[in-house]
Amino acid sequence: MKTIINLIVNDQPVEAAVEPNRTLLQLLREDLGLTGTKHGCGLGDCGACTIIMDGQPVNSCLVLAVQANGREVLTIEGLADNGKLHPIQQAFVDNGAIQCGFCTPGMILSAKALLDENPRPTENEIRTAISGNLCRCTGYQKIVEAVQEAAKSIDGTEVS
Amino acid sequence: MLLPKFHYHEPSTLEEALQLLSELGGNAKVLAGGTDLLVRMKQKIDMPSHVISIARIPGLSSITPRNGHGVSIGSAVTAAALAKDELMRDRFAPLALAAGRLGAPMIRNRATIGGNLVNGRPAADLSPPCMVLGATLKLKSLSGEREVSVNDFFRGPGDVFIEPNELLVSINLQTPPPWSGGSYTKLGARKTLEISMVNVATLITLQSPDGPIVEARIALGAVAPTPVRAFAAEEFLIGRNPSEELFRQAGEIGVGMCSPITDHRGTMEYRCMMIEVLTRRSLVEALVQARSWKS
Amino acid sequence: MSEFSVINTRAPRLDGPAKATGKAKYADDLSIPGMLHGAILQSPIAHGRILHIDTSRALKLPGVKAVVTAKEAGLIKYGVSPARYDETLYAHDKVRYVGDEIAAVAAVDPATAQEATGLIKVDYEELPAVFDMFEAMKEGAPLIHDEFPGNMNAEVHQEFSDTDGAMAACDLVVDHTFLNKRQDAAFIEPHSCLAVFDSDGRLTLHTSTQVPHYVMRTLAMVLRIPVGNVRVVKPYVGGGFGPKCEATPLEMSAAFLARMTGKPVKMTYSREQVFLHSRARHQFYAEMSLGVMKDGTMVAVRNKAILDGGAYTSFGIATVYYSGSLLGGPYNLKAMKYDGYRVYTNKPACGAQRGHGGVVHRAAFEQLIDLTAEKLGIDPVEIRLKNIMQAGDITVNDLNMSSLGMKECIEAVRDGSDWKNKKGKLPKGKGIGMACGFFVSGAGYPIYRSDTYHSTVVIKMSEDGGTATVLTGSAEIGQGSDTIVAMIAAETLGITLDNVRVVSGDTDLSVDLGAYSSRQTLMTGHATKEAAEQIRTRIAEVLSEEMGCEPSSITFRDGIVMFDGKPGNFEKLRSSYIKEHRGWTDPPTGDYLTFREAARLAYLKGGTMVGTGKYKPPKLGGAYKGAAVGTSPAYGCSAQIVEVSVDMDTGEITIDKMTDAHDCGLAINRTLVEGQMQGSLSMGLGECLFEEVKFDSRGRILNPSLGEYRIPTSLDMPSVKSIIVESREPNGPYGAKEVGEGAIMPTIPAILNALYDATGARINELPVTSERLYLALQKNKTEQNL
Repeated sequence: MKTIINLIVNDQPVEAAVEPNRTLLQLLREDLGLTGTKHGCGLGDCGACTIIMDGQPVNSCLVLAVQANGREVLTIEGLADNGKLHPIQQAFVDNGAIQCGFCTPGMILSAKALLDENPRPTENEIRTAISGNLCRCTGYQKIVEAVQEAAKSIDGTEVS
Repeated sequence: MLLPKFHYHEPSTLEEALQLLSELGGNAKVLAGGTDLLVRMKQKIDMPSHVISIARIPGLSSITPRNGHGVSIGSAVTAAALAKDELMRDRFAPLALAAGRLGAPMIRNRATIGGNLVNGRPAADLSPPCMVLGATLKLKSLSGEREVSVNDFFRGPGDVFIEPNELLVSINLQTPPPWSGGSYTKLGARKTLEISMVNVATLITLQSPDGPIVEARIALGAVAPTPVRAFAAEEFLIGRNPSEELFRQAGEIGVGMCSPITDHRGTMEYRCMMIEVLTRRSLVEALVQARSWKS
Repeated sequence: MSEFSVINTRAPRLDGPAKATGKAKYADDLSIPGMLHGAILQSPIAHGRILHIDTSRALKLPGVKAVVTAKEAGLIKYGVSPARYDETLYAHDKVRYVGDEIAAVAAVDPATAQEATGLIKVDYEELPAVFDMFEAMKEGAPLIHDEFPGNMNAEVHQEFSDTDGAMAACDLVVDHTFLNKRQDAAFIEPHSCLAVFDSDGRLTLHTSTQVPHYVMRTLAMVLRIPVGNVRVVKPYVGGGFGPKCEATPLEMSAAFLARMTGKPVKMTYSREQVFLHSRARHQFYAEMSLGVMKDGTMVAVRNKAILDGGAYTSFGIATVYYSGSLLGGPYNLKAMKYDGYRVYTNKPACGAQRGHGGVVHRAAFEQLIDLTAEKLGIDPVEIRLKNIMQAGDITVNDLNMSSLGMKECIEAVRDGSDWKNKKGKLPKGKGIGMACGFFVSGAGYPIYRSDTYHSTVVIKMSEDGGTATVLTGSAEIGQGSDTIVAMIAAETLGITLDNVRVVSGDTDLSVDLGAYSSRQTLMTGHATKEAAEQIRTRIAEVLSEEMGCEPSSITFRDGIVMFDGKPGNFEKLRSSYIKEHRGWTDPPTGDYLTFREAARLAYLKGGTMVGTGKYKPPKLGGAYKGAAVGTSPAYGCSAQIVEVSVDMDTGEITIDKMTDAHDCGLAINRTLVEGQMQGSLSMGLGECLFEEVKFDSRGRILNPSLGEYRIPTSLDMPSVKSIIVESREPNGPYGAKEVGEGAIMPTIPAILNALYDATGARINELPVTSERLYLALQKNKTEQNL
């Protein structure tokens, strides 16, 4: 039986009627057309489905849509500001951190969650923050470099 | 991957939850973080007709210090919260360390201590630390509440002493005495995202910074049908002056307490050897922590 | 002024912003109103006769629109190599592995389709199964394909010069064996596709593939649709690495169901199904001998390969040839003998995966070289430097090393890793090791016997504005081929990169064999260059008439035109252009004529400009059987040095540092080349330390998940020092050749050689889990104590 849920997705209020067994990932991709969040494995092993819920990165394939009721969700589509890329997105583009791009949305959001909490991470802290996001293409190096550059770029624009 | 169909309940009070558990009991599973239950449901290993989420129940998500004598951890506290919490890192290090090694960041943001304990997997990260910290688990049902020591909680793989109508509400720890220190070590294939091949939690208490061991607790995971306390190894350590050689011997004794299996993660023989090594290392680290204890 | 204005830079890839914002659409993101969802019924047993299939209950389930089995789909055989078409879409008489496809269902939603597959009743007579390749070769083993006695899928026997004689004359012959385990490519995007027929019976298949061209041909053949009526379109693809190089049962099922229902049908594999489908790296057993003189000169190699091919051929014919042919270089040899055997077993079929057939035998060989070097008392770097081929040399098996920066690669990693100060000087538990490798830059022949061009490219110039649209059937799968093609087009036309657009991966656009055997930079690059040259030539001709000068005096660069290196007198041209664009506020300015003005003139004089380019390699290779496999217009090569730390008590391995040098001829895009290098090393590290597909005693995969099939995480992979070597390949466009696969070749042996340096344990079985290393260390300890 469907229940009505209300949540904020990318700063927009959303209302949906969902079955209990619908995941947040399915809600985002199929009901809201936000296909930027990807399905890589369905079991929380790969991180391709990472979104930020109430400020924390989580695997949306392991969150029921009904559990997202009343919560704030940020997907990759919510990051750019009126078409202007977020510094993390720009850094990924500039540093070769993207190859096939399938892990990219999840990777960027994990990086965002890190930099929101820790604006000057060490390399090890960056690698730990993205350790739940698998990438088969890049070997992670340019991703780490991109996050380091994004950290500098964001930090540099902070009002001291 | 698709979830099977089920009825979903989201009680907003503890009483409501206990009422549901009392009615549905064996046909229901409790949903906390979902990182274990939802995986098992997608794999069609568990197909409960009812799922009861504890997300809205107040009071289950706090870490509450108790007058400097201990701490009460709500069963819905996440691994991420445990890993970050200053009191946990300071006084209950084995648990904070284990929580920080569980899965990977996104999993840690959802996985709960209650879920990790109640799932009762032999390789669970949080069970051995709770055991060495002497955790008592508070279980509630409509008919009342009971407390059980975590050391008496595990019965077999995936099998714990909880009734279908009970809910684990909190995990209570006593602050270890002065000159205590503990550690947690885990062996897996990769550096993260791993289910342990072997894991070890230790806690030792010294009489004084240079003094002998007065209390020792060693708990081993993934090497028996349940996580186990290596009692013989613990007894061996008591009253003795700590040294790496002593800890090596303790590790050897610990091997005798285990009955690891050969599975596709590792053979029994290797696991036994690793119990010895990891126990020794965990005790060495626990000693360092104990000697640097600060009030 | 630098040699190039667009290529050889770090231009950001064209599709970066789309991928970074979530706008890029992959196959499972696509949706057409009214589309149905498909699911496949797969065999739960490893080997059995099908007695009866009853689909009636499935058809009755509300929401089910069609069910297809062999009865409806027919029995047209397909595969990868026409000489070994040994698969039918659905099993009709036998199932040969757990996962073998039996039927497919289209329904209104995925859950209903899934449920319906559970309602299809299949009666089997279970047959004994065989899962081990050695067992499968034995007398009396269960026969998997009637036409292949002894379960021998393919046998290769090649000899170049008298190998026995050459060995006999050697001062030392060293033997070695090696074994890896079956792998999975583990791309993060599972296969997915969407099939739709239009009202004229024309099929459009959107699919996550590396090879739209081969998929188109297979679909036309199996569905019996005229080949001109099949269009395969590749959306964004989330990685391929080899297994996405052939038409899949997913694609064919979606097409059949779409035709039967008249509706679009979407199908996506679950992660578990990706493992069941496989077509990934084989298990290889290697047995080889290296004959040398005591001064370290390599003379002869005897090489044997046994491959576990699984239940069908897939790419396997090529694979079993590559295990032999790819040892022909990069070292000088006088003689080489190769015997290869690909064996059927009741497991998912294995195919091509990054490095195709070469990876495990290269690992074995590079380890054998180190073994030999140790016996001779020669440094591993020195023995390699002594034996490497030079540009222009030809291998014993007729592979032409038209360029070969092997020396530069070895010296670069030797110096870049400080080898001289580390080798033999690191404490116990720390080690340093090196290895080399090489690989084809595109297979010399297409998979089907044909004179077809390997790449054709069309470039259309805009009639106004001077922008170029490159139309190519080539497949951008994350490696960056669209960006490469754009950069080559821009460089050749003499315009800036932002004036080039690429439309790709669509069989309607041109012929391109696709992203496999590391071919697109060289082959699609050549075709792109030719197409761009045609347009540039046309524009130069028009200008030469207009300006009264020789076409050869005209150069285009960075969007401007020079006449004998000078601005020339183009006032009249400019004022015409400005008049024609009255009202525009951004007229062309500056001292030089702009490309857009020149291109506009060319349009006005001769109409729409289209350039077409085409490429196929010249006839390559020797006259012996199987000579085709291994041939290539060029070969990339690389050297790696790896440093490891070993926890001597547990056997846990940490890769501390990797130094990698790759000769890619010329880096069209330096960032993309480094990306391929780093990604290859990451896959090699995973295959060396963690990766293994495991089966139970009934042929079911034990670890069909990314949790239990372990690829490296960000905490497992160190930073890599990547060094690009550019030997300027004469057969490559602007000197470019491959990097996508060759870079993985040295990784496994460099790690193994480093482990030996650290521990004294020579591990010749993968994966080197902590347990495997630990047991080897214990064995060494015991042997030393005796």
